[in-house]
Amino acid sequence: MVCELLSRRDIERARDLIRRCALDFEDDFDNLLGIFEDGRLVATGARSGRVLKMLAIDPDRQGGDLLGRLLGELTRLGYEAGRENFFIFTRPASTDSFRCLNFVPLVRHPEAVLLETGGGLARYLLEREALVRPGENGALVVNCNPFTFGHRHLVEQAAARVPHLYLFVVREELSAFPFAARLRLVREGVRDLPNVRVLDSGDYAVSAATFPAYFLKRKSGAARIQMEMDLLLFAEKIAPFFGIGRRFIGTEPYCRTTRDYSRCMRKLLPPRGIEVTRIERLEAEGEPISAYGVRRALAEGDFERLRALVPPTTLAYLLSEEGRAIGRRLLTDPRRH
Amino acid sequence: MEIRTKAQAGTLQSSDLQVFLEPAPTLSIEIESTVKKQFEHLIRKTIEEVLARHEVRQGHVRVSDRGALDYAIVARLETALRRASANPQS
Repeated sequence: MVCELLSRRDIERARDLIRRCALDFEDDFDNLLGIFEDGRLVATGARSGRVLKMLAIDPDRQGGDLLGRLLGELTRLGYEAGRENFFIFTRPASTDSFRCLNFVPLVRHPEAVLLETGGGLARYLLEREALVRPGENGALVVNCNPFTFGHRHLVEQAAARVPHLYLFVVREELSAFPFAARLRLVREGVRDLPNVRVLDSGDYAVSAATFPAYFLKRKSGAARIQMEMDLLLFAEKIAPFFGIGRRFIGTEPYCRTTRDYSRCMRKLLPPRGIEVTRIERLEAEGEPISAYGVRRALAEGDFERLRALVPPTTLAYLLSEEGRAIGRRLLTDPRRH
Repeated sequence: MEIRTKAQAGTLQSSDLQVFLEPAPTLSIEIESTVKKQFEHLIRKTIEEVLARHEVRQGHVRVSDRGALDYAIVARLETALRRASANPQS
């Protein structure tokens, strides 16, 4: 029987099995499940949101139905928690074990494969079909946490260079400002630009599924692989659907992960027919404008400074009760994004 | 029967299937299967028959199939339908 591992002793057993399968134990899971045989833990796996991970089967018991039992129960619990599609990052050699459980590879990288079940990518694209414009279009993926004059400048510059610009706003709820607020401020901030379409990135660009390390800030080999997979997914699945021949990115003076991402972009996208254009950051008072600077000014209650960094639409939000509450939280939260 | 709430039934074990139902304005069926190439039309036919028998005209039906036989498809779908049509207040 598949059961939830709750006691410290059982979690310790799972940790041990996961380690024996050369995987890292991470304690940010929503469910941790296990299968026991004769009192011995022979299979374990976890769900963190829509990502299934730490799937480990005792080396002596692989090749049977343990993985199917585990995944069936993990997806059942995930569905109950309101999720519909699920992702798995795995090594290329394990791809087939998941394929025969109806997980479909979205991106293949020499060192890892990202698989999905639930038909989420097809649904994501279908729901945005009406936004597709013909021609050699441009794309910009932004978090806008929150929308600044710097973002406005970036969007203006990019939009002037292509017939249509798709502005993908990162959907993931791992930033100081909630997605709904970030999206609204972007829409309000670019409303007057007729060739810009604002849309959400779904699970398919810089999300906890495609690029968890963007939010974790841990420098490791895994971060580079995820970054590359995020870009391969963009080049192979997103860009062809929307007719994107050009991706824009702002120069990044502060954040190292974003800088690495930009470097990776210039390496991977051009060979796949997507030109990469960097746009110089807008400065205010001799310093490049960054959302990080905005959050700092908000946390410090420096509203004069905020006025120089964000458009009136964003400023009104920052001065609202919701905006001020986020400012108070920022004081104690060291996250960069 | 009417699909009023999200519901599911079944497992991902070999020869079984998972059925996911959710309310939708039209009727649609999505099939993921390890034997999709050979058997998708038969799985679809079985699902359509069950839906017709229970007069289900709206909703999204998704199945993740692992080579289930007809009777398993019928049983899992009927279980999910019963769960999806249950009155949420009761």
